Amino acid sequence: MSAEPEEFYVGYEPRMPAATRRFVGRVVLGLLAAAAVLAWAVPALHRPYALARSDFRDVREFEGVLVAEPVPHLVVARPGETGARAFSRYVLVGRGKSGPKLDLEALAGKPVRLKGSLIYRDGQTLLAVKGAEPMEQPIDAAALAGGESLGRFTLRGEIVDSKCFLGTMRPGHSKVHRGCAVRCIAGGVPPALLVRDVEGRDLVLLLVAPDGSAVNERVLDYVADPVEIEGEVVRLDDLLVLKADPAALRRI
Amino acid sequence: MSVSYKAVQWNRQKLVYDAVLLAALGTYLVGFHQLAPRLDPNVEPMNLRMRAFGSAAFLLLHVVLSIGPLCRIDRRFLPLLYNRRHMGVVLCGLALYHADLALTWYHAYGNLEPVVSLFVSNPAVGSVARFPFEWLGAGALAILVLMAATSHDFWLANLTAPTWKALHMGVYAAYALLVGHVALGALQTNTHPGLTAGVVLGALWILGVHLVAAHRERAADTPATAGADGWVEVCAVGEIPEDRARVVFAGGERIAVFRYDGRLSALSAVCQHQNGPLGEGRIVDGLVTCPWHGFQYRPDCGAAPEPFTEKLPTFDLALRQGRVWVNPRPHPPGTPVEPLPVPGAPGGEAA
Repeated sequence: MSAEPEEFYVGYEPRMPAATRRFVGRVVLGLLAAAAVLAWAVPALHRPYALARSDFRDVREFEGVLVAEPVPHLVVARPGETGARAFSRYVLVGRGKSGPKLDLEALAGKPVRLKGSLIYRDGQTLLAVKGAEPMEQPIDAAALAGGESLGRFTLRGEIVDSKCFLGTMRPGHSKVHRGCAVRCIAGGVPPALLVRDVEGRDLVLLLVAPDGSAVNERVLDYVADPVEIEGEVVRLDDLLVLKADPAALRRI
Repeated sequence: MSVSYKAVQWNRQKLVYDAVLLAALGTYLVGFHQLAPRLDPNVEPMNLRMRAFGSAAFLLLHVVLSIGPLCRIDRRFLPLLYNRRHMGVVLCGLALYHADLALTWYHAYGNLEPVVSLFVSNPAVGSVARFPFEWLGAGALAILVLMAATSHDFWLANLTAPTWKALHMGVYAAYALLVGHVALGALQTNTHPGLTAGVVLGALWILGVHLVAAHRERAADTPATAGADGWVEVCAVGEIPEDRARVVFAGGERIAVFRYDGRLSALSAVCQHQNGPLGEGRIVDGLVTCPWHGFQYRPDCGAAPEPFTEKLPTFDLALRQGRVWVNPRPHPPGTPVEPLPVPGAPGGEAA
């Protein structure tokens, strides 16, 4: 396996000795082939990206009723729909890693025209808000309804920030995303519990305290860890909310 | 060699070396960016770039770390070592870009400065599974940047070869940190066993080639037995091929006894440049030439030819019953020692 004894390679000489050149040529070809194979193999072995989107450059106008609790969201009437499908509820977040920069005290419970971009995944939608202004328009009282309790459950999952998981980041969960999720939740993005239902589908439940207040600062240490928590699940049209005491969070 | 400092003393082989390096990197990075969207149409561009550059840096580090031991195992790998520093600088560039993407993507636009966020977002240092893998990556990056910044011969000369070499052994700490960075980060999110197997096989490969090379080195470093006068027997004079050396380990260092033009001279077998194995060098144009980067020394005094300034310790030689003996007590670097004539050799003395 050793070089031909007569050969001696000196880097600043114009040419390599012949046998060394042939050997190095084979090594280089092997490295180029390995680079090509790895360029296919490494991405092929990564987890598939989620089918989620963030159209942050596509700023549109939305009209609906702004509701401040349990998390700031916009209730938008669905044309032609009644009953349980009468409204869509778009959780509101800010630009960057922050909650919505809105005067909630002034706008809550009122019809608004809101500028923002869509973030969506698996039928759940957020709006990254650029601004909002009140509108003169009658309110459908059903838009302000408190939601339906589905009962108390003990759930296992992972705390994520709703903005990234639902489309801004892919992947928007697990340990590689922990730093980002902590920044987002600390900045006011509503935290959510990501659980898998019995059929393996992702289920996202917005996480708030039993009284409906924000728990952002109290869940930071649990973000991205596998956790278990018990609480009341409430359905608000197409939103699921978990009302639970963060003190009951347990790592599993 | 070090008489004046230029950013890069380009020559044909360095240009070819860098062209091959960039071609291999281009194959990987362009291939990654082209193939990933075909494998998964939902690919996220920023994350894709982060993965491509991060994995390229990690893979290239395996190549960088393999070159040294492979050269010890088979000298034909030496051309890969010649310009390895450029590989290290490119590796540092890849790692910096990966880090910049991660810092911007995961930590910017929040309520803290991104660098602060990187270090405070996950303080779970007491848990292996929850350990902040970002800290490990930042530590490795700091080492890689330090190494790239001091890679030039200016630093080698001013820090001295042993200090520079010790500093650049930090690449092993960087590798260990990066294995941790990948294992506690990417592998916890991307749990395909193929990725884990790849990281484990990479680590086993690096460990394996180093163990094989170390085994060979240890055999070469068996201390020679000293005679009553403290001199050490090297070998029979006929065992040293013309223009090559025989190395003996004595007095705590490697001594190379070179045969050239019917004469023998002994000098330290450790090149002043990067502590290269001078005893595996040759006499080229009448000068001892290091196999790593071609640094040269006069065999009879250990001094590099003018205008270069490097000097090696020299040693006294004697011939006793046809066998070569060396006094392991060194002369100060650059001290001329009269070469020992080889009996019967052209240029030597009559048998």
